Amino acid sequence: MNSKNNESRIENEQIRINTLPHARSIKWPMLWYLFVGQLYTLLPWKKTAWTCAGFPIELLWGFDIFPLHPENMATVAAAQKQSQRLIEHAESMGYSRDLCSYCKTNLGAVDTGIKTTLGGIAKPDIITCTNTICDTHWKWFQIQAERLKVPFFMFDCPKIVSGTDERTIEGYINYMVEQFYEFFEFVKKHTGRELNIEKMIRASDDSELMSSIWRDIYECRKRVPSPYSSAETSASFFPLVVLPGKKVGIKFFEKIRGDIRKRVERGEGTLSIGTERYRILFEGIPFWYRMRFMYDLARYRAVVTYEPYTYSFAPPKPISKNYSESLREVARIMMDLPYSYNLEKRIQYFEQAIKDYSIDGVVLHENLSCRPSSTGMIDLKNAIQDDLGIPVLIIQCDMNDPRAYSEAQMKTRIESFIELMEKNRHG
Amino acid sequence: MKTIAYFDASHDFPEEILMAAGFVPYKIFGDVHKSNEPADRYLQAFFCPAARSFLTEALARSGEWDGIVIAQGCNSTNRHHDVWKRHVTTPFLYWFNGPSKDDAIALRFMKTECWRLIDALDRQFRTPVTPEKLAEANRESNAIKRKLQALSKLRGEKDITNREYLDILIKSMQMPKKEVSAEIDSLIKKVDARGPFPSNKKKMLLTGSDVTYPELMDQLDEVGFRIVRDDLSVGERYFATLIPEEGDPLEALARYYLTIPKPSTKVGVRKRIQYLEQALSESGLDTVVSQNLKFCEPFAYDAPLVNGELKDKGYRVLHLEREFTPGPDNQLINRLSAFSEML
Ligand code: SF4
Ligand code: SF4
Repeated sequence: MNSKNNESRIENEQIRINTLPHARSIKWPMLWYLFVGQLYTLLPWKKTAWTCAGFPIELLWGFDIFPLHPENMATVAAAQKQSQRLIEHAESMGYSRDLCSYCKTNLGAVDTGIKTTLGGIAKPDIITCTNTICDTHWKWFQIQAERLKVPFFMFDCPKIVSGTDERTIEGYINYMVEQFYEFFEFVKKHTGRELNIEKMIRASDDSELMSSIWRDIYECRKRVPSPYSSAETSASFFPLVVLPGKKVGIKFFEKIRGDIRKRVERGEGTLSIGTERYRILFEGIPFWYRMRFMYDLARYRAVVTYEPYTYSFAPPKPISKNYSESLREVARIMMDLPYSYNLEKRIQYFEQAIKDYSIDGVVLHENLSCRPSSTGMIDLKNAIQDDLGIPVLIIQCDMNDPRAYSEAQMKTRIESFIELMEKNRHG
Repeated sequence: MKTIAYFDASHDFPEEILMAAGFVPYKIFGDVHKSNEPADRYLQAFFCPAARSFLTEALARSGEWDGIVIAQGCNSTNRHHDVWKRHVTTPFLYWFNGPSKDDAIALRFMKTECWRLIDALDRQFRTPVTPEKLAEANRESNAIKRKLQALSKLRGEKDITNREYLDILIKSMQMPKKEVSAEIDSLIKKVDARGPFPSNKKKMLLTGSDVTYPELMDQLDEVGFRIVRDDLSVGERYFATLIPEEGDPLEALARYYLTIPKPSTKVGVRKRIQYLEQALSESGLDTVVSQNLKFCEPFAYDAPLVNGELKDKGYRVLHLEREFTPGPDNQLINRLSAFSEML
C-alpha cells in the first residue's frame, strides 16, 4: 500500500487531542499529595511509609500513616527529564543496566538527594511492599531498607498461576490473612501505631467510591467516538495510585466524569467529530519521559481507548464488610490484580476488553525494565490475533529510561501498524 | 525408574517428597550448548537465558518425564509457569508455591504446600507418601548431603577441579540417589589419592547466580582460581545443613527448606551476608568472586549491597556479569586475570 495515497494513514499534524476542561485540575491532588507528604515527613509525631503498586494503601490510612510512592516519584523524575541522569547515577553505584528503571531512578534520587518536585523522596519510618507483581518491588525495597536503615516488611503473596483451583486460593488467602496480623504487629513495633479499624473501613469505602468513578469513566470510554484517551488518563489516574479514597482526588474525578458525560451527551470525542478512525488498546506502562507519544497517535486518527495499566488501579474494593471478611477480600485482590493475572486470565481479560471497547488494534509495550509484565506477551499477541483477527504490535521500550526510545524507529513501527489496521478494516 | 523433573530457581523444592513417592527427582539445568531458539518462540531474549534453556530442554524432553514441578522462586519460575503450561506436553504440571519468607507463618504455609504436593501426587499417580517413607527419603537425602560436605571440606586441601565439584553436584540433583552416592564415594577416594592443594591456584569463594554448566568452572580454573567455598544452590546451599531426622518428617523437611543458607530469591539479605562472612572467616579466605548471569535480576539487585559490605570488611571482591555461553568469554577472562594479578 502506498502510504502517501492513503488518506486515512497520513500523519496529520493538525489533528490533536481535545483535552477536557478540567484536565489541569490534576495539579490540586498532586500538590496536596506533595504538601501533606512533606508535612508528615517533617512533623515528628507523624509517620510515613514507602509502599508500592499492589499494596492496599487503605491499611496505611487505617494507621494514619502517609504512603510515599517511590514508583510514582520515579515517574515524576522522568516527566521532569531527570530520570536518565538518576538511572546512570545508580548504574555508577553498581546496578546493572538490565534492572528496572524505576528502581534505579529511586536509587539515584535518594543517593543524590534530588528535590521532591524533581522526583526525590523523603526517608520513611517504615518500608512496606508485596511480591505480587514483581521481584523488583521487594528486592528494591529491601535494598533501600538496608541502606536507609529503615524497618522492612514484605507481604509474601502466593501466585495464582493458570489452573489454580479455588480450594488452593482459599489456602493462599489464609496465609495472607496471617500476614496481615503480623504486619499490624510490625507497624505497632516500629511506629507505635495501632490499627483504627473504623478508619480503615472508611478509607476502603471512600477508596471504592473513587474507584467506582474511575470505572464510570471507563464505561464512557466504550463510546464511539471515545471521549477520553490515554493521553489524559496517564496523568489523571495518579490519585488512584497515591491517594485512594482521599476527598481531593474524588472531587477531581467527579469533575472529569462531569466533563466526559457532557461530551458523551453531545456525541463528541477526544478527537474532533468524524476524526476518530482507529481505537487502540495499549498494554503496559507509558513512556513517562515521552508522554507526547500518546498525543502523537492522534495525528494518525488513532485513540488509545483502553489501557489495562490505569484501569488496574481501580479494582472493586471491599465495602461495608466486617473486619475479617474485608481482610480476606483484600488478600484476594492483592494476589489477583490485573497486573499479576495469570496468562489464561490475562488473555480472557484482554479479549473481553477488545470487544467492549471496539478495539481495532493492540499495542503491547514489551518493557525492558519489566520482565514480569512482558512474560507471556508473545502468547497474548498470538491468542488475540488468532481469536479476534485484529493486529497486535509489540514495541520494545522502557517506561523511565529514555535511552531505550528511538523516535525514528517508533514512528516507522507505528505507521506500519496503522497500515495493518487499515488493511484489516477492509478485510 | 519413574522421573519427575523440576524447575527450581534456587534450592526451594523439596525433592524428598518425590523420592518418598517413588520418583527420581531430576532438576532441570538446560543445555548451554544448544540454541535457545525453541524457547525463544515464547520467551523474549531479554529474559533469564538459563530459564529459557530450561524451557528448551522441557520442550524437547518432557516425554521422558512422568511430570514436571515448577517451584516458586523468582519471576522466571512464577511467570514462566503459564508459558510452560501452554507449550510443554506433560501429564502432570504442578505449581509448588513455597514461601519467600522464613518465619512461623511461612513455616505453616510451607507445610501446607508440602501436603498439597503429596496429595496431588497421590491423586495423579496413586503413590501415597507415608511418614515412614518421607523419613526414609529425608535420611537418604541427608546421606548425600553428608558425603558432599565431606567432599567440600577437601576443596581447600586437595586438588579438586572446579568442574569436578560442579559435575558431582549436578549429578546429585539429577541421578537416582543410590547411584550418585557411589559416584561421590569414588570421587572422594580419587581426590584423597591426589596431591595437596595446588600451589599455583588461588583460593576463593564464589557467590551469585547459579552456575549450571562446567565451562565457566574451567575458565575460573584456567585463570588460576579454585573455588573452595560458595553459597550457590548448585553448591553449598544444597548440602550445608541437614534435614532434622527426629520428630515429624514433614515438619522437619519444611523447617529445613526455610533455614538453608539464603539465596537472593528469598527475603533476608542480611542472613545471606552473614553466611558469606561466616564462610569466609571460618575458611580464612579473603577473596570473593561474585557473578551474576545476565538478566538474573535477584542476584543483580543484591550485588552492590552484598559486595559493598564485604569490601568494607576488608575482603577483595570482584563482580562480573556473565553471558550464558560455554565459549570463552574474553571480557570475563580479562577481568578475572587482572583481578588475579592484583591479588
Ligand atoms: S516496572 Fe515492572 S519490574 Fe519495575 S517495579 Fe513496576 S512492575 Fe516491577
Ligand atoms: S538464573 Fe536467576 S533469573 Fe534465572 S531462574 Fe535462576 S534465579 Fe531466576
